[in-house]
Amino acid sequence: MKVDLKLISRCMQAAMVAVALAGIISDNLTWVPAAVLSLLVSLVPSILRRDLKLVLPFELNFWIVLALFLHVIGGVSGLYDKVTGWDHITHAMSSSLIAALGFVVVVAIDKYVESIHLPRPFLAAFIIMFTMAMGVLWEIMEYSNDVLTGSHLQYGLTDTMLDLLFDGFAGFIVGIAGAHYLVNVTPEHFVESLQVDQAKKKIAGIIGKRRKKN
Amino acid sequence: MTGGRLRKSPFEGRTPEQIIEAEISWISSLVLFFSTVYMVLKMDVLWVTFGIAAISLYLLPILRLRDPFRALPWEMTLLLTAPMLLHVSEGSRALMENVAWWDNFASLAFAFSLSTLGFLLTVELQLYTDVKMNRPFAVFFVVMFTMAVSGFWDVGQYIGDILYDTNRLGDNSRVMKNLVWSLVGGIIMGFVYALYIKAMSEKRRRMLGFIHLWEVRK
Repeated sequence: MKVDLKLISRCMQAAMVAVALAGIISDNLTWVPAAVLSLLVSLVPSILRRDLKLVLPFELNFWIVLALFLHVIGGVSGLYDKVTGWDHITHAMSSSLIAALGFVVVVAIDKYVESIHLPRPFLAAFIIMFTMAMGVLWEIMEYSNDVLTGSHLQYGLTDTMLDLLFDGFAGFIVGIAGAHYLVNVTPEHFVESLQVDQAKKKIAGIIGKRRKKN
Repeated sequence: MTGGRLRKSPFEGRTPEQIIEAEISWISSLVLFFSTVYMVLKMDVLWVTFGIAAISLYLLPILRLRDPFRALPWEMTLLLTAPMLLHVSEGSRALMENVAWWDNFASLAFAFSLSTLGFLLTVELQLYTDVKMNRPFAVFFVVMFTMAVSGFWDVGQYIGDILYDTNRLGDNSRVMKNLVWSLVGGIIMGFVYALYIKAMSEKRRRMLGFIHLWEVRK
């Protein structure tokens, strides 16, 4: 299972490279920046792992690549316009991703910041809130982009509302799944499996080296 | 209950200004209560939810500490009540039609009251549950809470519009402006509350007694 997901991730990343190259060769640059950016973002977990020894759960890595891949492929092949609901699927994907990353960060904060303690029900509620707020922030971004540059990112009220609805759904699912996950795995264990401690040591090491140089 | 005779009257030993402050707070809460009842009669589910949430957060410290003077500061109660009054009153509707920026003003008032709810949540969660937050996290919580609730609010209104075949939400740009104001209002109030607690006099803070999470630590 682990190997399969990794292989699929690599294939999707290769597809993003292909999209970028094809765009440059055929002089059709609309989706090249998005493809390149998505590719870079999809590489972040590997970079974190190599340089900081910070390990995200591999399902999460896969989810990151898949969300970015669907976004890029949907844009290039016009699936965003052709398939009704494509927009909402990618929205739900990316907001569940945001929710999951938020979850990881909040659990880490819970463990490392002495003055913060977040019990599980609160954690779930907070993730739902956080995801919805990020969805709202995203829509505000699209709206201001439309107003300032005259682009056409928002299709209308129904579309905006459905986007938010799907953001909310994704938040609910991840929030509840996350809280459920922590029933069996203690926050301490979960954070340990991310190897944040090693990452901290690494960062401290890097900062120490910088200081020596100066 | 230890019997009314043994307990001294809650008014004993209060300065006149304390009594006036508490009275303004109680009156505002009554306004909140009656607007909520009015919303129940009009079957306005969203506003009823809002009213009940606000009233519960208002009553919780009073009931827990058995002291009517532990009412919220009057200015916070007014902030909570304002958007509901704006929503209820006919005068507001006339202004909405005639004054161009009234809609934005109402949105901002709503954002202020949502962030006040968020602020109260941070305080009361800290007091009555295991939740522990520090100040930066609490500011972040207030901002996130304001935006998230406006988001859910608009979705709720949208669903209501579809179910009852009404059009209370308006067009996309109106909704988006509303959300922009909720972002602005949330960020403003997140920091305003941090400053507010800092600026509040020691005496008053001790009297209100329950805002310790946001208190200035020396």
